[in-house]
Amino acid sequence: MRDLKHLIYFEDLLQEANNALVKQAKAEGRRALGYTCYFMPEVLLDLEGCFGVRLRAPRCTSPDIATYYMSSRTCHYGRSLLERALEGGYNFLDAQMATETCTVTCRFQEHLQMMDVIKNPDFFCEFTDVPFKKTENSYLHFRKQLQAHVLDKLSEKFGIDTSDEALMRAIGQHNEVCRLITEIGEHRKEANPNITGYEFHVIQLVSLVCPKYLILPYLRETAEELRTRESEPRPWFRCKVVLSGSENDDPGFTQLIESCGAMVVADRYCYGSIPGREEIVVAEGQSPLDAIARHYIDTSMCPRYMEQHVMRQRKKQLADIAREYGADGIIVESNKFCEYWSYERTIDTIVLNRDFGIPVCSIEKEYINSASGQLRTRFQAFIESIEIKKIQEGQ
Amino acid sequence: MKKGKKILALAAAGAGALYAALFAVFYFDLDGKLLFYVVEPFLKKHYDKMERRDIIKMDYDVDKYGKYEYDTEGGES
Amino acid sequence: MGKGEWKKKIKDFVHGKPHGERRLGDLYIPKTGLYKHREWRGIKDTMYYFNRIWLYNYGMMVYDIMRYGGPVLFAKGVWRYRWMGQTYLTVMHWFDRGFEGLRGPALRASAWHYRAMTNETIRQFMRMFAADANLHKGERNELWHKTMAHDETVAGAIFYPWRDVMDDVPLQMVPYFVTCHVNCHTVLNYIDAAQSIGLPGDPCPMCQAEAGLSILDDMPDYFPFLITSNEACDGSVGTSILQDWAYDKPLFAMPQPMQFDDPLVQEHCRREIEECWKFIEEQTGVPFDYDVFVKYIERYNELTRFEREKWDVAANTPYYPVNGVAQALYRIYYSQDGWRDIWAITDKKVKKILHRCVEKKINCFPEARHRVLAWSCAPLYYSFWCTWAYNCWGLHTVINMDSLMFDIDMRTDTREHLMEDFALYNEWAPMRRMAVGGYKHIFEVWEYMEKFHCDMVMMYDQVQCKGMQGIVGMFEDEFRKRDIHAIWMPHALPDSRTVSRAEIRRIINDYMFTVMHEEPLDPSLLDFDDSMSW
Repeated sequence: MRDLKHLIYFEDLLQEANNALVKQAKAEGRRALGYTCYFMPEVLLDLEGCFGVRLRAPRCTSPDIATYYMSSRTCHYGRSLLERALEGGYNFLDAQMATETCTVTCRFQEHLQMMDVIKNPDFFCEFTDVPFKKTENSYLHFRKQLQAHVLDKLSEKFGIDTSDEALMRAIGQHNEVCRLITEIGEHRKEANPNITGYEFHVIQLVSLVCPKYLILPYLRETAEELRTRESEPRPWFRCKVVLSGSENDDPGFTQLIESCGAMVVADRYCYGSIPGREEIVVAEGQSPLDAIARHYIDTSMCPRYMEQHVMRQRKKQLADIAREYGADGIIVESNKFCEYWSYERTIDTIVLNRDFGIPVCSIEKEYINSASGQLRTRFQAFIESIEIKKIQEGQ
Repeated sequence: MKKGKKILALAAAGAGALYAALFAVFYFDLDGKLLFYVVEPFLKKHYDKMERRDIIKMDYDVDKYGKYEYDTEGGES
Repeated sequence: MGKGEWKKKIKDFVHGKPHGERRLGDLYIPKTGLYKHREWRGIKDTMYYFNRIWLYNYGMMVYDIMRYGGPVLFAKGVWRYRWMGQTYLTVMHWFDRGFEGLRGPALRASAWHYRAMTNETIRQFMRMFAADANLHKGERNELWHKTMAHDETVAGAIFYPWRDVMDDVPLQMVPYFVTCHVNCHTVLNYIDAAQSIGLPGDPCPMCQAEAGLSILDDMPDYFPFLITSNEACDGSVGTSILQDWAYDKPLFAMPQPMQFDDPLVQEHCRREIEECWKFIEEQTGVPFDYDVFVKYIERYNELTRFEREKWDVAANTPYYPVNGVAQALYRIYYSQDGWRDIWAITDKKVKKILHRCVEKKINCFPEARHRVLAWSCAPLYYSFWCTWAYNCWGLHTVINMDSLMFDIDMRTDTREHLMEDFALYNEWAPMRRMAVGGYKHIFEVWEYMEKFHCDMVMMYDQVQCKGMQGIVGMFEDEFRKRDIHAIWMPHALPDSRTVSRAEIRRIINDYMFTVMHEEPLDPSLLDFDDSMSW
């Protein structure tokens, strides 16, 4: 396939949290707001006058000082973020909009509160409480939390316009990003897709870590380019897989899977687009904040949801994604020390294979993995097993 | 009368002997030793041999349970 | 033998040896933790131990079994459930380990706490067995329909409105939590069971064990539905996923808000509780009874008030007669369980002892060299480390973190007040409030050190607790800055294989020798092999 015009630029943008577009937005006087979790609605951080940056710590392989603070027995992702913060990599942040949605990222964000890590006199870190259920009580609670801990704070500290009109404009911009990413992602459903999982992963990530108004022109152009981009004459992959699991902002990991011969056709993990790139719908008469609160609670498939029917239906949803994208199997990954996904991965591995007939490869990974020979062996074996299954079914 | 006294004396002696025996059990930790060397190993063997249902073979019906959500009286909305 | 030696021997026989001469470590049979013979504590205390603790508790256990369902039911339970047979038959050794070296009022008050926990444990497992379809050929009897199950981390107080007509039995309190203290080997089966279906080894082993109980089919089928919680951590949420699969019964999740200091979350928390009550009403057909709820809240408030009185004595005098392990286990047990008659009966007895100690100025731990605050989550397989530490080094554990939870005197004058306080009470649960409940609360350690006049911290280092591991460096920094003697005690909550008891002792010994430059009170306790001990 012909190279995507902006791919190298996108890859460059992923090399640092404080990338060229972040610097540009800051230079234009906008406030940079960090966050880690899907439950912090990025649309609220992209109001006029500010922009959201979902935090990553690319190339952080040895978080030594953070390991002193958070021990070696916590998620590598959380530690890497703290290491990058201690190195000064997040000094551009004006605020951290925090959520206590998993223990280790919570602790990371608490370190930002406790220690004078971010060298920015305006910096503050504000926590929002996120419910564990998809009920009216939860919607109401989340809406109140977002109002008090996000909108009111942004207005009070930075004079951001948080009116309904401003929210509607932010939703409009956000929805355009979602439409474009969804359109780009739809190509993965084709029999012989004209985009790789790696390319999509890069595109999805830049949409999370760059100011929306600055990345949008590139996304538009890329979507346009993909409308006419031709696939390889023959599929370059041996099978298609869904990648599901915990935090994953490392395109190198997707590249590793694809280098073994499995195309990643769907990204159902934290930082992925499923869920994440669904448009926010504001019903007539509904307040935009209410629509946002409901949207993020309803679309999330995070294993921290505790309701019985939600816990169970997550398995079906994952199977449906595999079918929708024509995947031959599912790779379920969890970051080492991620407790939510340790449990979810365990049951997914058994149930999806047994009850839905979908082959599952279950792996535990670190935050940065691209050089892992062990993982390569696991993926190769999984792909071979899928191929054998296909041959047997053909017979 | 004498017989009664004798029975009482015997009962007292028996109770005394039992008390002394129990004290010996207590003091020399004979209860602990019996449990450690005899009872626990026996029971462990029994538990290890027990047939148990295999969770991996259990149904997991994703549609079996509905949503449990209720209107409550509390507070403002 | 000279006259002086005879006199000394007689004195030791009558009064027991003084602390420095006891050589308690010589009493152990290597590896097993069994005693060559139990300790001679002098005539009075030995006979008290024999009559009022050993004989009395064996007798009361038989009595409890008879009154809660009878020996046949008990025997069936022993035969069916590993956690039952392998653990609870050895219960008197749990007493022994907790009370080594204790004398006088400390022995008496601590033993009453243990007696209460034993009684409540028997009541709970007999209720489970009486309702258990597994022990009744699959029949779901009336008691099955009248027994509610919940995660052990859901406060028992949630079920007060039904206490007069139904009962609630936590799923894991007796099959998991208490077993770890009584026989640390049992739980390993459950941890291994969880890992046998693919769960990684690094999540909290408490949550693994709780899931393992259900995976290994070792939970009585005694309930028609269950209530789960996110208390204390991500692992507890994860456990629900596997439990739901294994139990396959209607499940209501009642999460607690994470940011519980935020006044805005209280309404949400209250609604969750009220929804839970509606769920119970729907499942049981038995209406919520506000008056019964208030009745038990008020009774429980009495327990809280006495607890505070105990803390006051512990904090400000040397006359507090409860040792570290009895304080910790009793408090966490009853506060989690909620009101039961046995707690009030016990408090009455302990109050009498406490008042006598204060009036007569009896120093219950006369060899205490340091007053220790134990912080964070304790090793369940070595909760009696504080008994050892006092005997060996004079480290007297005055209070521990888990004791300080649920510390709220709930107002009952109006429903609004009660629900406000009850939501907070629900949030101030063990571990949730401090260990994983925000750095502000975990750092309350400094205030409590001051309040309880402690000069040392035993810092539990649960190696698989992400919440605590995620903040170790800040603790190190603060300990250094404040010049506080803190001993880090690594452990894996119930899993005695990760850090052994011997290793814990070695770490404390090293600190006491090399940092404190102190000599042990009882050198025989420095190093001994209890690797196979319960």
